[in-house]
Amino acid sequence: MKMKKFIALGMVGMLSAATLVGCDKGGTTTVIDDGGDTGTTVVDDGGDEGSTSATTEKEYSEDEIINWTMFSAMPGSEINDGNDIQEIIAKKTGVRVKETWLTGQTAAEAVGSILASGDLPTFIDGGDGMKELYEADALVAWDPYIEKYPNLKELYTDYEWDMFRQEDGKIYWANVFNNTYGESKATGHNDEAFWIQVRVLEWAGYPEVKTMDEYFDLLEKYYAENKSFTDAEGNTINIIPYTILCDDWRYFCLENAGQFLDGYPNDGSVIVDPKTMKIVDYNTTPTSKKYFAKLNEEYNKGIVDKEFATQTYDEYIAKLSTGAVLGMVDQNWDFNYTVTPIFATSGLADLGCEYVPLGLVVDGVTEQRWHTYGDTVNQSSGCAVTTSCEDPDRAFQFLNDILNQDIHDLRYWGVEGVDYLVDEDGLYYRTQEMRDKLNDTSYKASHVCNYSYMPQWLGTSRDGKNAMQPAEQASEFYAGLSEPLANCFKAYNAGGYPDMIGSVEEDVNATHPWFPMWSWSNELNNDTPGGVAWGKMGETKHKWLPKVVMASDFEKEWASYMDAYSACKPEDFLNEAQGVLDDRMAAYEATK
Amino acid sequence: MANEADQNFNTEEAAVDTGINAEAEVYGNTAGNYGQGIAEKRNAYSDSAEYIEPQVENYAREAYEHKFSLTDQQIKDLSKKKISKGELKRQSVLLIISAIFVAYGVLFYYLPLAGWIMAFQNFKLKTGLLHSKFVGFDKFKFMFEFDMFSHALETSGSIFTAFKTWVNNVVFVRTIRNTLGMGILNLVTTFVMAIVFAILLNEVKNKLGKKLVQTISYLPHFLSWIIVCGIVHDSLSSTGIVNDLLRWFHIVDDSYNFFAHPLWFWPIVAFSNVWKETGWNAIIYLAAITAIDPSLYEAAEIDGAGRWGKIRYITLPGITPTIMILLVMNIGNIINAGFEVQYLLGNGLVQDVSQTIDIYVLKWGVGQNDYSLGTAAGIFKSVVAILLIVISNNVAKKMGQESLF
Amino acid sequence: MKTKKDEFALNYGSHGAEQELSAEEKRTLKRLAHKHTRRMDAWGWAFVICNTIFLLIFTIITLYPVINTVAYSFNDGLDAVRGGIYLWPRKFSLESYSKVLNIQGFVVGAKITVLRTLLGTFTSLIANALLAFVISRKRFLFRSSLSLFWVITMYVNGGMIPVMLLFKYLHLTGTFWVYIVPGMISAFNVMVLRTYMEDLPDELEESAQLDGAGYITIFIKIISPLCKPVYATIALFVAVWQWNSWFDAMLYNRMKSEYTTLQYELMKLLNSVMQQSGNANQGDTSSKQVTPVSVRSAATVVTMVPIICVYPFLQRYFVTGLTIGGVKG
Repeated sequence: MKMKKFIALGMVGMLSAATLVGCDKGGTTTVIDDGGDTGTTVVDDGGDEGSTSATTEKEYSEDEIINWTMFSAMPGSEINDGNDIQEIIAKKTGVRVKETWLTGQTAAEAVGSILASGDLPTFIDGGDGMKELYEADALVAWDPYIEKYPNLKELYTDYEWDMFRQEDGKIYWANVFNNTYGESKATGHNDEAFWIQVRVLEWAGYPEVKTMDEYFDLLEKYYAENKSFTDAEGNTINIIPYTILCDDWRYFCLENAGQFLDGYPNDGSVIVDPKTMKIVDYNTTPTSKKYFAKLNEEYNKGIVDKEFATQTYDEYIAKLSTGAVLGMVDQNWDFNYTVTPIFATSGLADLGCEYVPLGLVVDGVTEQRWHTYGDTVNQSSGCAVTTSCEDPDRAFQFLNDILNQDIHDLRYWGVEGVDYLVDEDGLYYRTQEMRDKLNDTSYKASHVCNYSYMPQWLGTSRDGKNAMQPAEQASEFYAGLSEPLANCFKAYNAGGYPDMIGSVEEDVNATHPWFPMWSWSNELNNDTPGGVAWGKMGETKHKWLPKVVMASDFEKEWASYMDAYSACKPEDFLNEAQGVLDDRMAAYEATK
Repeated sequence: MANEADQNFNTEEAAVDTGINAEAEVYGNTAGNYGQGIAEKRNAYSDSAEYIEPQVENYAREAYEHKFSLTDQQIKDLSKKKISKGELKRQSVLLIISAIFVAYGVLFYYLPLAGWIMAFQNFKLKTGLLHSKFVGFDKFKFMFEFDMFSHALETSGSIFTAFKTWVNNVVFVRTIRNTLGMGILNLVTTFVMAIVFAILLNEVKNKLGKKLVQTISYLPHFLSWIIVCGIVHDSLSSTGIVNDLLRWFHIVDDSYNFFAHPLWFWPIVAFSNVWKETGWNAIIYLAAITAIDPSLYEAAEIDGAGRWGKIRYITLPGITPTIMILLVMNIGNIINAGFEVQYLLGNGLVQDVSQTIDIYVLKWGVGQNDYSLGTAAGIFKSVVAILLIVISNNVAKKMGQESLF
Repeated sequence: MKTKKDEFALNYGSHGAEQELSAEEKRTLKRLAHKHTRRMDAWGWAFVICNTIFLLIFTIITLYPVINTVAYSFNDGLDAVRGGIYLWPRKFSLESYSKVLNIQGFVVGAKITVLRTLLGTFTSLIANALLAFVISRKRFLFRSSLSLFWVITMYVNGGMIPVMLLFKYLHLTGTFWVYIVPGMISAFNVMVLRTYMEDLPDELEESAQLDGAGYITIFIKIISPLCKPVYATIALFVAVWQWNSWFDAMLYNRMKSEYTTLQYELMKLLNSVMQQSGNANQGDTSSKQVTPVSVRSAATVVTMVPIICVYPFLQRYFVTGLTIGGVKG
């Protein structure tokens, strides 16, 4: 259906430097460019340790470049045609991919309409609709190409690859996120936490805050002495000690802290007790009740925002952005990407309004897993090649090529000398000017090309020094810190956010082989009783939890909530969860 | 010569602001038509300085009936009349045009209804319409949870209590209640407001002011719901203007949280609708008002009708056919109370009154890849809508009003 | 009934031969008009004052969201996230407009949108009017059943998937015509047109038929000129609908950037705030940034401006009267 160019194929073989590259049947080339010693690589990629210069010899001309498309079932920003880095990558790989994103539909709807229209993109990440694509036979199996292309094979261990297998035993997609190459360089905490403004900790002399009670004590004390403050522009801002976001699906900020407070990691929908390998419902645990009782107590004391139950996400972000809110539970990505730049430009960062995460527990719990160490494999979605692609081999080759270090650097770091510089130790860094430029959306659209829903790495670059992605480069991280935040890290002797939160350091894949259960519960639908129960439980919680927090008689309201909750038949859901857990453990045992 | 006189008469008339806002030439010609009648009526009662309402009423009615000349009965008589060959031949062009349009309608509106079959299947994209598994009425049972009703009936023994339990406990049934509730409230408020606004605007004699007000009034139509709802939310929040005013007048001491109370939700939704759409909806009525013969106003005026009299006996009856047609069509639409406003203004605390059928479909159908459930809900909505318009259409007919079919 | 009507017609001369008024009679009429206007003054003034106040308040209330949107659109994006902007931008910036006007596909989208608005409005108006004309013929055999046929289309739909399959089968997907052909007839508009046409005096048609005019001639020469106000209304409805459409561009031309529409391009820019469901656990962080309120507002203003510019040309048809009587005589 689509007009595409095939001309490139024949040319490639002749032009490639035959001694350094492997030739395929189709005449296309596989360039293995490790760019140096890898040292910490998980899987031997079998590549030649060739010099980087070899790869730059081949340049595709415009006639040879294939134009392909990709759809990702997530909202995103489109890049401009003729984007600088996209062109460089196109010249190097012979493929240019136009990305489109989700607009005004749910992922499943979008996938449904794409399938019905028959107008499939070349690459797709269908999000929640991945299963539908598979069921409609719209995807090309990865299996033969995983063996053929070492960069792809390297993405996952055999056990992890097996997790992606569908009922027919084949692999159709690979998740592109949370994949660490070599040593982790993570300095951020991109998970959930109880957040607190740095100035509160500073005011109290950087105390150890370990439990929920200590946290609220601190907020109360601070609030007792500071009802308002003056911001950098001279406005008086009334302080809101604690707020809870519970707008639509974002009500997770209210509901799921119970699992963390008990010391469990973010399985999402349930707790898995690692001793007994049994599913536990975190909604009804004593800890959860304690947590909501505490919120109720604080609400009645006036510590919790009176309007929390009815605020919209925009209002919540607006409140946070004025620096008024001292603390809340949230996922980092849900607020920090918006709030941090505002704090930086409005001078609130220098007043200590920025947030740090705390790994809180209830009394009696010693370990906590708010921060997840190790890569979470989300096997429910990922990047796939569709049957509309005339040359799947070439498509997989492209996915392989963009994992080469030079192209990976182009994708995430940009062009050397323009977007980053290299110091005498070979470390990449950016000047403030470069950072500012890269924050400009229109510059980004015309210059930067991440291919952000295609395979990628976190962790350490193959040169062994730099981070795969700039956000994880230590120098970049420290350069961006405000003074109060840097002081806070120093006071707690923390190298970054993960140290600040102080979770148990363990590879989650080794200690929690079933992890995470949410990759299953995200896919639930009406087809099973458990799926129906799951939907009803969500609605009931969304209605009752704010009521419970705002209740004048907590016990009574909690009892009514429990009645409504059990009417949803949570046992259907939990039984199914147990079944899935058992299956996953059996599969894991089998590979040992 | 006479025409010139008409013109003069007319211009001077306009100069004294008789309330007829028409262009001079137009006006003059109509005066020619009705002038004689006016002159005669004058002899009958216009000389009297008193304002005699019944006479005005009669006069206006007559004029009105004359203009919309065929009653339903007459139309019926006409259609019963044997169609002669000549008539048929003459109508052949109409038949051909209708046939083309019917073919078009069948293709684009009726053919896709084959998709309704999905409601009785467990539709999967892989198997498609032809090979998906048939599940009968399972999807409807899933939505309505009839066993809940029968169970409640068994335990309580009273149909009324059982019905109440059913409505309160079954999500879909609750969304039907909410949809109809909000649909009716929205219909009444937006409808009345648009008509009132159109009529009042029509009374404005200053042309520039009239155009300006009209232009401004329709602008909110172009704001997306996300913007309008954001403003509504802001205005009603603890720091918003409404709470500021309430505190100012000491009606409340602490700010009132409008969104935490289920009682307020429907009125807020209705208000938002009125706010956004009144000016836009009024356009149809303004157009309909232009179709009213200015001579009717003129005559009514001579009979001593004031502003209210003219509105009541000329303007309102003049736009009644339009009102009726729109009313009947919109009654069919009360089942489509939408989802955006409710979605954007709703929250967990008020979800029992905020969720509409469309939100239900979004959550349980589309959101869960369950096309069948979405289709089943769609069929239910269509059936209700068609029932509603058939009933309202017949009521309109009975009342001797304009009807759809 | 009939006799009364006839008598009425006779009295008022609209059926009978035109009779000129004498100068004397006209003077009397004028005097009378004067008298009555004067007499109504007290009430009239009260009405005018109340009406003005009411409309003034109404205008202010409806103007507020528009001004608010404009204020946000001229405000700095990051600053706007903090809220609290009412009538005037707090930190002036044109950045949002530059973002909106510089989006990829703005030019192509604008071209397609203008094209579909013009062509769509034109074809749709003709089709709707013609259908309405047929249905409004009171002697037409299938008048009622044809109405019912179209009224039903307002309340039923086969759902997204069957419609997409149909369009695919008809080879409408991936073409420009998918914007024009499927939505050509709107039963709602047809019914509005029909109501207006039915209110026109039947004598018009009758006399034309006596003169030997066919239905097509009657439609073009007699009915249509009288329908200017309602045509203007429907043209406005269709044009605005076409102008604002983006969902069809996404559904049927998702991968065809040459047929993208302006609204779809703007929608893409705004999509991260339109996000309706999310996955709390996705590892993706790259595209989560929220489109600032100011960009959303600027996009709205950019959409509104052309409509505001075109509006006055249509407005004169439904604000100042054009009357049937005028053409009738």
